[in-house]
Amino acid sequence: MTRSHSPEGSEDDYNPQEHQTCYIFTPAGDDREAAARPAKRRRTAKPKGKAAEQPATEEPEICLFPTLLNGKETETAARERWDTYNRLWADQELRTRAILDSFNQKTLDDVSAFVLSASHENYDEKIPTALVLTGPNIAAHGPLFAQFATRMRDVDRTGPVVLLTSKDAANIKGALKKLIRDATQQDEGMDDEDEEAVVGRKGAKLLNYDLQILQNWCALHTGQKVVVAIQDTEAFDSGILADLVELFSSYLDRIPFVLLLGIATSLDIFHDKLPKATIRKMQGKKFDVDRAEECLAQVFNDAVLGNKSVLRLGDSMCDLLIDRQKNHTQSIQTFIAALKYAYMSHFYANPLSIILGFVNEPEKLVQLLSVEHVQAIRNLTSFKKFIENKLEAQETEEVRKLLQDDSYLRTVVATSAVECHSSAVGLAGALEVLEIARGCISSSSAPRAPRYELLPRVLVGDLHVESPLIRELLLSVKKMNSTSLLAMLSSISHSALDPQLSQLKEDISALVSSSSSGSALTSEFDVATNSLRSTAVSKKIQLNAHKSGLTKLDSEYSGLVQKVHDELLQFFTDTLHSPKGSFLYEVFYYDLQFPHKDVFAPNARARVERALSNPFDYLNCKCCQMTREEEETRESTVKATHPPTCVVYKLYLEGGALINSFDLWSAFKSVVTGEDAEDGDEQVDVDTAQALFYRSVAEMKFLGFVKQTRKRVDHLQKFAWKGL
Amino acid sequence: MLPAGLLQSIDSRYPCRTTQLAHLSVLIGDDSSPSPSAFVVHGLEATGKTLILKSLLEDSNTSYSWLPCHECITARHLTERIAATVSSSLGASDSAPQRCENVSTLIVYLQNLLRASGRKHFLVLDRIDRQREPPPTLFASLRRMGEMIDTLTVIFMVSAPHPRFFSSAEIPHVHFPPYSKDESIEILCKNPLPIERIPTNKSDDEDDSDEEEIVDTKTAETLWRRYCTSVWDSLARGAARDIVRFRTVAEKNWEPFVRPVARGEYDPKNYSGLVIFQKVLFQRETALIDRVIPPTINERTTIVKSHDLPYYSKFLLCAAYLASYNPARLDFQLFTKGNDGKKRKRGGGQKRQASTRKIQRQLLGPQAFPIERLLAIFPVIVPETIQPSVDIQAQIATLTSLRLLVKATSLDPLDGSSKWKVNVGREYIRAIAFSINFDIEDYMTE
Repeated sequence: MTRSHSPEGSEDDYNPQEHQTCYIFTPAGDDREAAARPAKRRRTAKPKGKAAEQPATEEPEICLFPTLLNGKETETAARERWDTYNRLWADQELRTRAILDSFNQKTLDDVSAFVLSASHENYDEKIPTALVLTGPNIAAHGPLFAQFATRMRDVDRTGPVVLLTSKDAANIKGALKKLIRDATQQDEGMDDEDEEAVVGRKGAKLLNYDLQILQNWCALHTGQKVVVAIQDTEAFDSGILADLVELFSSYLDRIPFVLLLGIATSLDIFHDKLPKATIRKMQGKKFDVDRAEECLAQVFNDAVLGNKSVLRLGDSMCDLLIDRQKNHTQSIQTFIAALKYAYMSHFYANPLSIILGFVNEPEKLVQLLSVEHVQAIRNLTSFKKFIENKLEAQETEEVRKLLQDDSYLRTVVATSAVECHSSAVGLAGALEVLEIARGCISSSSAPRAPRYELLPRVLVGDLHVESPLIRELLLSVKKMNSTSLLAMLSSISHSALDPQLSQLKEDISALVSSSSSGSALTSEFDVATNSLRSTAVSKKIQLNAHKSGLTKLDSEYSGLVQKVHDELLQFFTDTLHSPKGSFLYEVFYYDLQFPHKDVFAPNARARVERALSNPFDYLNCKCCQMTREEEETRESTVKATHPPTCVVYKLYLEGGALINSFDLWSAFKSVVTGEDAEDGDEQVDVDTAQALFYRSVAEMKFLGFVKQTRKRVDHLQKFAWKGL
Repeated sequence: MLPAGLLQSIDSRYPCRTTQLAHLSVLIGDDSSPSPSAFVVHGLEATGKTLILKSLLEDSNTSYSWLPCHECITARHLTERIAATVSSSLGASDSAPQRCENVSTLIVYLQNLLRASGRKHFLVLDRIDRQREPPPTLFASLRRMGEMIDTLTVIFMVSAPHPRFFSSAEIPHVHFPPYSKDESIEILCKNPLPIERIPTNKSDDEDDSDEEEIVDTKTAETLWRRYCTSVWDSLARGAARDIVRFRTVAEKNWEPFVRPVARGEYDPKNYSGLVIFQKVLFQRETALIDRVIPPTINERTTIVKSHDLPYYSKFLLCAAYLASYNPARLDFQLFTKGNDGKKRKRGGGQKRQASTRKIQRQLLGPQAFPIERLLAIFPVIVPETIQPSVDIQAQIATLTSLRLLVKATSLDPLDGSSKWKVNVGREYIRAIAFSINFDIEDYMTE
């Protein structure tokens, strides 16, 4: 796929030069060179200065999407797709970024309050230390600590913040140098006189790793704290960390240090890592960062279930992405990348994706759809289903029109697009209500299912009004007493169900306040379950007894509960059904998982192994073609016609952990020179064979399969087994 | 010899150090008597070296400069710091100190500086043994410095003297032995914990404000003394022998210990009854364990959410643990799914153990393994079949940067012969395996 330079894509990190063996290096800032280059390359060496204006005006003109439908798609349509993609993704990205920025707000507040109040006097003359439990998602640590730094530096103004990572701390000298440089350079208003006071006069300049510099600096800037944030405490060398802590604590009366340690694993591992004497020098609090799942849920709810998003993910995509999050990465950044890729590939490859851009402007859409588009719509699976449904409903006239009248179909598409979008929004609302309501019911039997797990179940058709999950929910609603029901109603009051329920909620609260006892009202449906009666008759009697035990208010309340129940039931019946069968499903739901698998989880090793063991799969030459019995096992035997490296690889697979080079050579020779073969049609002499052998072994070594070993000089060590 | 009154005042402030004080006073002397060119003050942590020496130097009005050497990173840093400290303590800061890159230039500089003053000067090098990678001649040359400059005495403060530290035998040593039990308790009784704590606790309970008089100063002091003895016998003797840690432990347990007295439930004179009532405090080790976060009572309630590794990362960690703690030759028996595997493991293993006594693998620590072995074990223990992809490699990289997995060789990690080790203990891995419902003990050889 062609990489695009979208207008907002300043973080586009793909550089084609990195994938070339040799190229002419043009340093950034040389605009003449860049201007002389073709437009497409310019972005690689995009200078920040004057030339930046030029591409900004020029580049939106370039549409990187090809024309589809066998080239019959019009340029304007392709351009529309390109523009729609850029517009929709830019909106989505903005929203996602806002979520990510607002995330961890509580942790930020807590930590900043801690730093503001921290002083070694409050902590038994120990270093005030904030242990931030960041979780194992390493990719999120950098942004989080940057957030900390900006917060303290710019908002709280507590003083310099120094971010140390394990890479900065190869030795203690380097770490101190960076610490001092970063801390003292963060205020710009230092004149020469101050500088002299800090680093010493010309003759007696202090060494650049001497904390005395920082001490002098702190004497000039009283009231400022030096916050040292260590992002990856686990990766930090424990000896250096212990040394640093000891130094900090001995300087603590002169430099007000505050430590901020990010811990990805657990407190116990952290405590095991450092010597006890070091731990005694620190005292503080721990802070939890919101978990990755919660972050994922928020981003997912906005991107896939939000009212503003138009393109949604289908069930298998949801499953794929969520499984990958859970099982492999837990990184929200990967999820966002996958989402962007979904947008890209949908608009790149699906000509009908232009519909997404005009959900709100049906007239324009009708104009834009060409004959080819209409033809393509008629080929959709969902269109076929649509037609079949119409046929079943005996609307033959309509069907004929749809199949023959292009302009009629265009208007139908426009209306269906609106319908499809609104039904998707409705479904999202239903899922929101479902999740919140289920969260309010305290039952241990039903584990909490977030919306990203519920959505694929709905799409598959597994979850509908009749399914046990909903029935259970509705039953529990019926049994709720007034306190918990009111709590539930107020927590779902911001969702899509509000207009119907707000009146009921008011009624119930009025009823509760009118009851003199002040205790919660019980529902008549809440039959005590601890009955020991076994016969049906006795149960019935008990039920009646239970009913008669209810007060008048209770029965009034029960009526309201019944109404709430009916509202919910109606709501779920209306909204909670799979959109899979509906017309234009393919356009609104992106559900191709193979491109994602290939792009985000490539399996390079298996490809290399396959290429080496079955070269025919890649070369597609006649000589290497597999015989029938080979095809059955999917394993080809060694052939002289195979490339020599493949021959060596095949022989290599047969060997043990140590392979005698001479044995390998003789086997190779016999294959390549055709000693065993009767018909000597393609003879290779021994010298050529030897040269080929050397080259092949060198290639194997380059690929990392073998290495010479010191254990036995004439042997090769085997490093890779097939199929791992 | 310093005046006796001075020594007595110091002795009363810092008890149990009379001998050392006498030694030091002789070595320091006054301006009329000569001092050795260098001497060593040694003793373990928290034995009063710094306090006594500093107060002695301070009170006897001698000219001295004090240098905390552990703040100096390199030898050059040290010599420059010495030059700066000495010049500032002599009040000669107006002349810019020249660069003192090594001990030779330092000697020349100090010679000029001290010749001008003419008084005896003491240079205290505190914790000089904590230098990181000192050059081999550093200590010897610093010790020689006093010989080159008549008026200078270098005092080395070290925790444990090394016989070859200074390449010279005649240097005087003053030893500060650790405080004994009686001495420690004596020192702690010099400032018993404030008794006001008891009334403040009591003020919570409104009705027994009149019981304040029962806990008078004297009773409280005896209570503190007897309490310190108990703490020493039960906890500190084994685990917190130095005075600072002893005091910390005593302070940590004091408040819960006297709470019943503060509430008026117990008579403070009935000490043995109180000890039996608060028996747990002297058995629990929480006061001894140092943590960054002070343990609170409601600790457990706050742990609601926890960060978790991804599902397959846990399996990878288990696989790494198995690869580290199982010998490679048993892999075939342990991980092949044939039915003969486990039988042979049991029978063979027991017999071999009987004949040769081997150290348990668990006790030997993790062994290094090639990454290929990890990748081979991983699919066997995962219940689902998964496609090997770049995700697995990425997770191995993540585990490595979390230091749950460490590289055992210094080679390039992409090299096939580089080896790895697991870096978690048995308890941790059992918790991990439990969370993914994987019975790791099944695959462990004992």
